[in-house]
Amino acid sequence: MKRNALVFVALVVAIMAMLASGKYLDRTRRHGALKLVGDVQGVTAPDFSLVSLDGRKVSLSEFRGKAVLLNFWATWCPPCKVEMPWFVDLQRQYGKDGLVVLGVAMDDSEPATIAKFASSMGVNYPVLLGTDKVSDDYGDVQYLPTTFYIGRDGMIVDKMTGLLDRKDIEGAVKKALSTTYRPVSVQQSQAEAEMKTKSAAGKETTQ
Amino acid sequence: MKPIAAVISFVFLLAGLAYGQGMDNKPPVIVAPVGTVQIHAGATKDVELDFRIESEFHINSHTPHSPLLIPTALKLTGPEQVMVADVKYPAGRDVTFSFSPDEKLSVYSGDFSINALLKAPATTPAGTYPLKGELRFQACDHSACYPPRSIMVDFQVKVVK
Repeated sequence: MKRNALVFVALVVAIMAMLASGKYLDRTRRHGALKLVGDVQGVTAPDFSLVSLDGRKVSLSEFRGKAVLLNFWATWCPPCKVEMPWFVDLQRQYGKDGLVVLGVAMDDSEPATIAKFASSMGVNYPVLLGTDKVSDDYGDVQYLPTTFYIGRDGMIVDKMTGLLDRKDIEGAVKKALSTTYRPVSVQQSQAEAEMKTKSAAGKETTQ
Repeated sequence: MKPIAAVISFVFLLAGLAYGQGMDNKPPVIVAPVGTVQIHAGATKDVELDFRIESEFHINSHTPHSPLLIPTALKLTGPEQVMVADVKYPAGRDVTFSFSPDEKLSVYSGDFSINALLKAPATTPAGTYPLKGELRFQACDHSACYPPRSIMVDFQVKVVK
């Protein structure tokens, strides 16, 4: 009886593993390995280099030390339109505190069409032209709008898919702004200071 | 392991892989099988193509109210012996969604049909000809949208004298 139960549990575990691997293999086959799958909170946001509507190359790493709201959207997505005025307001309100809103247009439309649309929506933040690679790097972004909230340290603090309330969005922005950034040089000097302290303490005890 | 347990494991393995591989790829729109359409050489035939949209989704009609929205469109191509003379789309339903209360969108939801008018020239030899095409659409649910995609639409046309 015990043995039967064990076999049953093993079967269930095996089936669940197969489901997960089947799904992963399918997505991998279609899009290549995905960098962000499952719960992405606390994961470093993948860096990218995308072209903005005004022709500049924009990388996520440029904004280390800032909180980033990374919004994937498209001109053919009516729910995405609802959020855009909120992002405009949030950029205006929290820009001075270190918020950077970045829009990533997942459109096949011409950049001029996207620019015209963004202008009509009063967008005051950079709009970047999305690619399959950035979509895949962020976990195969299919469902629009999808927004990642990235802390000052480059870690993802939240991910929201679909249209949500403005207060939820503002809450995630505040969460991203509340993170702290320690530049590598500061981290190194702190580590060095800690090592010196330990080493001094060691010398004292040996004397 | 007993043979029966081995068989059950194998079945579950196949089912698991099949489910896992197909779960992300299912389109929210399906087309009903058309079968073989019969047409007389020198005549026309109206063919109704039936589609079903999953309950929580809607797609833009063929004539959405904004040029930015992607219209539903059927593209059918056949051999020169069978021509697609016309495609007729149903009117969209004007709907206001919670994500856009001030804007009416022209959409299809549930079941809808598109009619294709086929024409076989009088010179067409009797025989069966394949007609292939695709329905392109862009679907949304109550809070988000999916990228445009296409489903295959194909059927056989039997031309008789």
